[in-house]
Amino acid sequence: MVKLDDIKKECKSILEEGKVKYIVGYKRNNNYYMSIPAFIEKIEETDQLIWDPTCVYNLVRFLRDEKLRKERQKTPDTRPIGVIVKGCDSRAINVLLQEKFIKRENVYIIGVACEKSGVIEKKKLRKKFNEKNIKQIEFGKDNNFIITTEKGKTTISAEEILAERCIECNNNTPVIYDVLLGEKVERSLSEHFRSLEKFESISTEEKWNFWKKELDKCIRCYACRSVCPMCYCDECIADSISLAVKPDTTAEEKAQKIRWVEKSPVSSENFSYHLIRALHLAGRCIDCGECERVCPVDIPLRYLNKKMEKEASEQFGYTAGLDPEKPALVSDFKDDDPQDFII
Amino acid sequence: MRKRIGFFICHCGINIAGTVDVKKVSEGLSKYPGVVHSEDYIYMCSDPGQSRMVEAIKEKKLDKVVIACCSPTLHETTFRNAAKVAGINSFQCEIANVREQCSWVHKDMKKATAKAIKISKAAIERARLNESLEPISVPVTRRALVIGGGISGIQSALDLANSGYEVILVERSPSIGGHMIQLSETFPTLDCSQCIMTPKMVEVSKHPKIKLLTYSEIQEVAGYIGNFKVKILKKPTYVDPDKCTLCDECTKVCPVAVPNEFELGLTRRRAIYIPFPQAIPATYTLDINNCPGLFPIACGKCADVCEPGAIDFDMKPEILEEEVGSIIVSTGYDLYGKEEMAEYGYGKYEDVLDGLQFERLLSASGPTMGKILRPSDHKEPKEVVFIQCVGSRDPELHCAYCSKICCMYTAKHAMLYKHHVHDGQPYVFYIDIRSGGKDYEEFVQRAIEEDGVIYLRGKVSKIFQEGDKIKVWGVDTLSGKVIEIDADMVVLAMAMRPSEGASELAKKLKIALDKDGFLAEAHPKLRPVESLTSGMFLAGAAQAPKDIPEAVAQASGAAVKAVNILSQDRLYHSPTIATVNLTLCTGCGMCVDVCAYEAIKLEEGKAVVNEVLCEGCGTCSATCLRAAIKVKNITPLQVHEMIKVALGG
Repeated sequence: MVKLDDIKKECKSILEEGKVKYIVGYKRNNNYYMSIPAFIEKIEETDQLIWDPTCVYNLVRFLRDEKLRKERQKTPDTRPIGVIVKGCDSRAINVLLQEKFIKRENVYIIGVACEKSGVIEKKKLRKKFNEKNIKQIEFGKDNNFIITTEKGKTTISAEEILAERCIECNNNTPVIYDVLLGEKVERSLSEHFRSLEKFESISTEEKWNFWKKELDKCIRCYACRSVCPMCYCDECIADSISLAVKPDTTAEEKAQKIRWVEKSPVSSENFSYHLIRALHLAGRCIDCGECERVCPVDIPLRYLNKKMEKEASEQFGYTAGLDPEKPALVSDFKDDDPQDFII
Repeated sequence: MRKRIGFFICHCGINIAGTVDVKKVSEGLSKYPGVVHSEDYIYMCSDPGQSRMVEAIKEKKLDKVVIACCSPTLHETTFRNAAKVAGINSFQCEIANVREQCSWVHKDMKKATAKAIKISKAAIERARLNESLEPISVPVTRRALVIGGGISGIQSALDLANSGYEVILVERSPSIGGHMIQLSETFPTLDCSQCIMTPKMVEVSKHPKIKLLTYSEIQEVAGYIGNFKVKILKKPTYVDPDKCTLCDECTKVCPVAVPNEFELGLTRRRAIYIPFPQAIPATYTLDINNCPGLFPIACGKCADVCEPGAIDFDMKPEILEEEVGSIIVSTGYDLYGKEEMAEYGYGKYEDVLDGLQFERLLSASGPTMGKILRPSDHKEPKEVVFIQCVGSRDPELHCAYCSKICCMYTAKHAMLYKHHVHDGQPYVFYIDIRSGGKDYEEFVQRAIEEDGVIYLRGKVSKIFQEGDKIKVWGVDTLSGKVIEIDADMVVLAMAMRPSEGASELAKKLKIALDKDGFLAEAHPKLRPVESLTSGMFLAGAAQAPKDIPEAVAQASGAAVKAVNILSQDRLYHSPTIATVNLTLCTGCGMCVDVCAYEAIKLEEGKAVVNEVLCEGCGTCSATCLRAAIKVKNITPLQVHEMIKVALGG
């Protein structure tokens, strides 16, 4: 398992050398067991850094904010920012590079291998523990987690509270990095796409009913969109009112704005929104699970994206975020691509 | 200002009216907002039909018209031109396809009529938002490039040059001439191939309008119709043709001997060689791959004996950049591979030859000076078996297609063999005889009746060597008899296939290949010499197996097609092209990757469309996640409005 000291050491050294402007990592949250993102600018702040099974967040999202901030500044500090990434998060960087949203020199990637472990899923944790009593969760030996509560320490097998995406993951080591901490370990806790079996086996009608029930809950808070590292458009196609009208937006452009999706949270519009999102993430989603984590009404959004990921993999042999030099899923074709869907 | 829209629906005889109640559609549409004129007519595309439209536009002051008829691929141009005549912009005329997409595919009149109304309404919604556009015009570079110096390429180049246009003829081997120059005599007249070919080759070399580049390959092609930019790699021959006196001293001292390509391995040549005496350009080539070494010079004997000092070991590959307006591709054919035909002993037994090798044996300038002798022991073969359809018409194992020329050249081979060896007996195994063509059938009959060629209808089951004979086992399916022939020589009519490297070249040119790897024509019947890429044309066996007259005819056809372009002052291009909304573009470059025409580039982090390369296919628009790129007159807003109407909203 990666030693926290190694992470701190690396961060200290790059800050000392002035290689990066600041580092995005994880730190402890006051009075709560979950970590929170940390923005480390000074060497002494590196002591705040932590690395434990609650480091669930995909910090790549902050690269977008940094880019926007830099665009606004007159004389921006052009040094890269450091970011701590897990295997899944690193693939998000690859997608952003592939889409030319960021440049490689704008980011210093501190890759942290999950090895045989991963991060927790709160839903699973809640079933076993009273969240209020938990003080801290740490990586234990032999692929276990150590949970500290008011009553003392309990050791639990990681798989019991490991996030489903971590169980299915086969990219547990970052694929792009400036420095890699931890070992590259091959592992297969379960078959990839196992979680989809349940959905694929049910009838079309059952699927419809399931998604109708789930998507009807949506309150269109757009938290999924806000947290997603891929949702970086200035103007989302789902927005019909809050369009970014800039000084150079012409009258014709304003007149041509189309309301593909209405704002009201009703079945048809919710379906439109979520299906557009799923399609726009096809070949781009790297299964960091953030959309599902932040959903206030617990819509299992991951399954929509996972299904697209499976189609891309099985039909076109494509996995998102492995190679920033290759063309994206939807902008590439081969002579032997399947065509049986064409009537 | 409120739009005044005219609507017309065509009966197309009963093609549309048989399934769609056209009166009802016309009536229904007459009440649609903005429609001030609505009528039906039996044939809108007919002259009176078009006149009705023109009159309606003038009388009722229409500013947009929608015609519900057949597919826009057929009559869009007709109606747009008529609209222009009537005085409105041609892009204010829109087609609603109610035939291919409605009447032809439905039976229930009620439902088909309802659908036709929706399709028509959607087209009206689209037309409502159509911009008036004018074609984009571009200048033309009045020069042509011909790729491949066989008979087709030579013919195209000469036709173009004689029309007054400059031509660059590129050939990858050291001499032009292609396969035709290897042939002995040609069917059905039996005139000597070299005798009719060499005058054309000489004409090419002397023509002031033709720039001949042999031993050269196409490296890169960019640009578009009328304005292609081509990079040509000219490989070094290490011999200066101006100094070379063709004294042949160099080959006498060259220590290397390799199979001679021109003689198809029947003889050997030196590392420095001239492909054949009449080669154009008439000069020697040093084959660097077989030379003992130039860097550092390992042998250098040829240079030592070269009195005029024509051999220059320091010659370097050159890259020439040329601009042309049109390209003709005539890359020809190769014979199906030896390695594929092991069952016929090809490549195993010396006396099993392919058709081209037999041509060389027949040729007066060939390795045997026109005597038919077996390669193994130089004896005259007394019984020769010719096998047709070797590799052709065999969808399971080899090529599915018919190579077309083999029936005729096999008859020619058998006939010529008989002319050389009077006491010999030729046999031909065939599936059927395909002798369509002027004087072709008579030629085959002559071989059978006058020259006593024995035709056996059936396939050969086994070929093996026994002593100095080649045993051929087969069956005559007409008599049902098993046939065993102790042959002295076997000649295989190998299938034709696209020449090596044709597919790589096609990728560089961005022209399509068919399922067999031949260059694909734009339409099998009506556009047989055009490729799918505008400005590029096809000639000869590169497009499909064909004989000399057909290849020459297609080459001349391709030349005329090229002249169509080169004779214009400017070319006009459809203005329905993609445009980028720079505010929304994030510069992800997906449109760049997806564009089949390489019309989009990223400049300063934003997509930029080349308006001449863009064909308006809309793939970029469908790919863009930000809806930042749209095609004129089929914008997302238009699509949205069309969907809204189609859904009944």
